[in-house]
Amino acid sequence: MNQKLTAVIIEDEKNICRFIESVLAAEAYKTVTAANGTEGLSVIASLCPDIILLDLGLPDMDGMEIIKSVRQFTSTPIIVISARSREDEKVAALDCGADDYITKPFGTSELMARIRTALRHSHRTTSADTVYACGGLVIDFERRIISLDGENVHLTQIEYKLVSMLARQAGKVLTYDYLMRQIWGPYNDNNNQILRVNMAHIRRKLEKNPAEPEYIFTEIGVGYRMREE
Amino acid sequence: MKKPVLLHDIQVTLFFLAAATILSSVFFVLSHNAANVAIIYVLATVFVARNTSRYVPGIVTAFLSVIFINFVFTYPYLELNFSLDGYPVTFLGMMIIASLTSTLTTHLKEQGRILKEREHMLIEAEKEKMRANLLRAISHDLRTPLTSIIGAAASYLEQDAQLSQADKAKLVELISEDAQWLLHMVENLLSVTRINDQTVGIKTTPEPLEEIVSCALSRFHKRLPEYKINTKIPDELIMIPMDATLIEQVLINLLENAVYHGGSGMPVELYVTVDEHQARFCVRDYGLGLDPQILDSVFDGCTPTPSRSSDSRKGMGIGLSICKTIINAHHGQIFAKNHSEGAEFTFTLPLGEHTYEPETDSSDH
Repeated sequence: MNQKLTAVIIEDEKNICRFIESVLAAEAYKTVTAANGTEGLSVIASLCPDIILLDLGLPDMDGMEIIKSVRQFTSTPIIVISARSREDEKVAALDCGADDYITKPFGTSELMARIRTALRHSHRTTSADTVYACGGLVIDFERRIISLDGENVHLTQIEYKLVSMLARQAGKVLTYDYLMRQIWGPYNDNNNQILRVNMAHIRRKLEKNPAEPEYIFTEIGVGYRMREE
Repeated sequence: MKKPVLLHDIQVTLFFLAAATILSSVFFVLSHNAANVAIIYVLATVFVARNTSRYVPGIVTAFLSVIFINFVFTYPYLELNFSLDGYPVTFLGMMIIASLTSTLTTHLKEQGRILKEREHMLIEAEKEKMRANLLRAISHDLRTPLTSIIGAAASYLEQDAQLSQADKAKLVELISEDAQWLLHMVENLLSVTRINDQTVGIKTTPEPLEEIVSCALSRFHKRLPEYKINTKIPDELIMIPMDATLIEQVLINLLENAVYHGGSGMPVELYVTVDEHQARFCVRDYGLGLDPQILDSVFDGCTPTPSRSSDSRKGMGIGLSICKTIINAHHGQIFAKNHSEGAEFTFTLPLGEHTYEPETDSSDH
């Protein structure tokens, strides 16, 4: 790649900003930082970056507002930087149009993995992949066949829909709400129990030990994320 | 006396007097016997004394009662006549009884109020003491890793030339380790604010047991990848009402506690069993075990024996006391004991009313 990827970091804590900058610089990204929302928005509009890292706790405006404004003119992936134990905040950000979130504190490898996943999803159309393969799990989207360590796995309709949806967006967290809407339609009640139960059934079919899953991970209070190689 | 209180007292007095008069009238019309009338008015006096804040209304009621009885219920009717035979005795008797009951009830009420106030003050003092203890423990536990971080960073910066590459790596490793510990502490403290934020207890939602366990394990492994945990949970799907983030914190605290305190390299065991009413989480290590002296106070949050507090970095005092706060908020129980080869921490969570099973969708695609 001869062209450097550009990342915009909107974060008011100088030290965190510097840390992320140095990580990204080491990975050969061009970084631009903004310490508040207004500055961030103008930088995004003028630079058209490849990825945006956004801290939700900014001094001048609500992070959600920034996500909404950015989404009006571009689909550039946004990764939200959030504190732990604020599930509602993460869910709201994802539902506003953020692509993923990363929880403070995070390590270098975690940050880079999230960025790569977000970039990959932004560059391809959803129908491009016909097969998901990871470890012993293979999903053939065209033939609708799932096999685990070479053996076919039988899933119900709904279970298959859930797994394929997660697999097509592997590495990305899908919220309970999103999954409920996609599978049971917009008119389901707010109770996500049916989703949780179906996931439990899937886990029993795909995971050797449901307490230490290999393929589908729970993000407590937020949703589910499928492993990405 | 403030105006609303005065108004209230007058209302109460009038109400009971009116009630007594009506009741007495009914009695009197039916039986033409004035003996019970006095009793009814005494009763009214007691009620007035009970429902007002001072002596005065009771005494006023007593006085009015005597006048009323004389006026309405004794011959000559609807006339005041104090020259009746023996009437002064009745009058005096009623006044004394009314004043006495009035004084007594007021006195009792006053005592009750003082008692309640004292109780309230005691609870406040207890809370204050707990807060002070917690603060002291936190400050102490925070200072230790901070000292080491500052020290390591300073020596890295100041002795740059003298230090070998390996020494530097060692220092950074130290900084990272202590920072992780600080983070752990802060997360625990945040859990407490999460409980205190909600005035009406915690908000629970039914969560699948396996998801909680898997999340706790993955967070634990992220922090301490080199330790192994053997897990065993029931095969069937179990939904437990809980605040997932808080229970995850409890599991992590207990697992880290087992790893740090066990002191042996043996894997820690986490197993969950379920009966009709509750789920039982056990974290069992094969290490040194707990000092029998501290078994009872291990969840109390203070460093138990001062002589051992030198190792305060590993002092899980706050972590365990927070576990207890969280489990109590879930109406569960937590306890610690020693088994033959180490220590075991157990907590229980009550199961919800019903576990949810959806209509089975068995059509294979």
